[in-house]
Amino acid sequence: MKNGQEVIYTEKKFFLSVAVAAAMHILVIAGAVFFQIWQVRQPLKPKIVTVTFVSLHASGASADLSPKKSGAEKLPAPLPPSPPAPAPLPQPLLKPVPKPIVQESTPVKKRVVEEIPVSKTADKPEPMQKTLERLQQSVAKKTASSSTPSSGTLNTALSRLQQKVQSEGGGGGQSGARGLGPAGTYKAAIASIIQEQWEFSGRMLKNREGMEVYVRINISSDGKIRQIIFDRKAVSQYLNNSVKKALEKSSPLPVPPKELLSSDLWVGFVFTPEGIGQ
Amino acid sequence: MADSKFGIISLISDAGPVVLLVLGLLLSFSVVSWAIIVFKFGYIRNSLNESKAFLDYFFEVYNVEKIFAESENFKKGSLPRVFRSGYAEYMALGSQSDLRQSRARIARAIKREANAECKRLSTLVPFLATVGNTAPFIGLFGTVWGIMSSFHTIGLTQSASLSAVAPGISEALVATAAGLAAAIPAVIAYNYFTQQISIIERDLEEFASEFVAVFINEP
Repeated sequence: MKNGQEVIYTEKKFFLSVAVAAAMHILVIAGAVFFQIWQVRQPLKPKIVTVTFVSLHASGASADLSPKKSGAEKLPAPLPPSPPAPAPLPQPLLKPVPKPIVQESTPVKKRVVEEIPVSKTADKPEPMQKTLERLQQSVAKKTASSSTPSSGTLNTALSRLQQKVQSEGGGGGQSGARGLGPAGTYKAAIASIIQEQWEFSGRMLKNREGMEVYVRINISSDGKIRQIIFDRKAVSQYLNNSVKKALEKSSPLPVPPKELLSSDLWVGFVFTPEGIGQ
Repeated sequence: MADSKFGIISLISDAGPVVLLVLGLLLSFSVVSWAIIVFKFGYIRNSLNESKAFLDYFFEVYNVEKIFAESENFKKGSLPRVFRSGYAEYMALGSQSDLRQSRARIARAIKREANAECKRLSTLVPFLATVGNTAPFIGLFGTVWGIMSSFHTIGLTQSASLSAVAPGISEALVATAAGLAAAIPAVIAYNYFTQQISIIERDLEEFASEFVAVFINEP
């Protein structure tokens, strides 16, 4: 009798231990999940990276070689050897002013420095001021001659583009949106959103045959994707999955325009490894 | 949207049925082994503490009646239990004058109770050894299965990109991690309990003869 009671007591105690252990596990798992959620929600502090920008002007480099800067700026000095055309320009400047830092740059440069004075200055060394003036003039001429055609080309290209846009009716830049009004614009907009969300690399595919996915999506009035219908799937499950994920990620889409709200809105896309077509 | 599926939740939700089964089994193993750890830790600690206190009193008093009266206060100790069973046998002898027979009967009763006590102490402890030995292998099985199915999926998708390979493998590795998480505490606890139980067993063996002597020498 006493033994039986003891056994019951022991069993009770063991079941209590089981309950404690189960609670402990639940706590640990819940703690791990919450810790992960907390970690994900923590704002990431980006590392501070100091970046120094150095502008490299192929022809304009010589223009900066004023008497004040030539001695102080050591970094641009090794750069002139790469472009062959402007090489003669800095040479007269370097020769009369003995700057060991500039001359010690590379052996190639040294050779050029020695050649130039023979042809240009001959036996009479010109004064520093005159040389500088002549240098600045030549640089000004060069920059003027080089900038004029480029700006002209840019302007003509811009005007041509504007004309093209006007002739096409200003369709927002997307090929599918051309001349289709708000529906086309909306379609183009959602296509670009889906394209952004689409994580797919065509290089991962073995062959490109049959790699087309025809998809229709049903968009609700609040922009959410209600239904995704695959009219045709690709051979690669990877492509199919990536399309599905992209569409899921894109939801909710922007709210459709009022003209489209009345009817059941279905939009179709063709996904190929090259991109999204409509 | 993407943030809602990550870490443990996504690893478990994306795992296959076999891996889920393995994880469930390992979780139940872990729960039971922790229950045993909690239960046995209290049981063995109480037994050791009370045995020690009882022995102090035993050598201090050396009187059967008094010791028995005091032993009633040590309900959870192994040594007091064994002593009480010897006392019960001693009382059952009554006025028997055969000293040799009485000694043998008391010694037998003490030994029987000591054995029962050893059994009681080591109940459920072998389960810890089982978990410690098998859980890593069960986890490994889940991992192997998960990697198998992962490679199968990779073959179907015709893609060997890291994004296609890594999720399946990481899901599969959860099973090994779970196996180790279940096995490590079980092995530690098993070694600790085995050592503690062996101490109690040694005490029982050592003091059994002392108890017999107390009963027999008592006028």
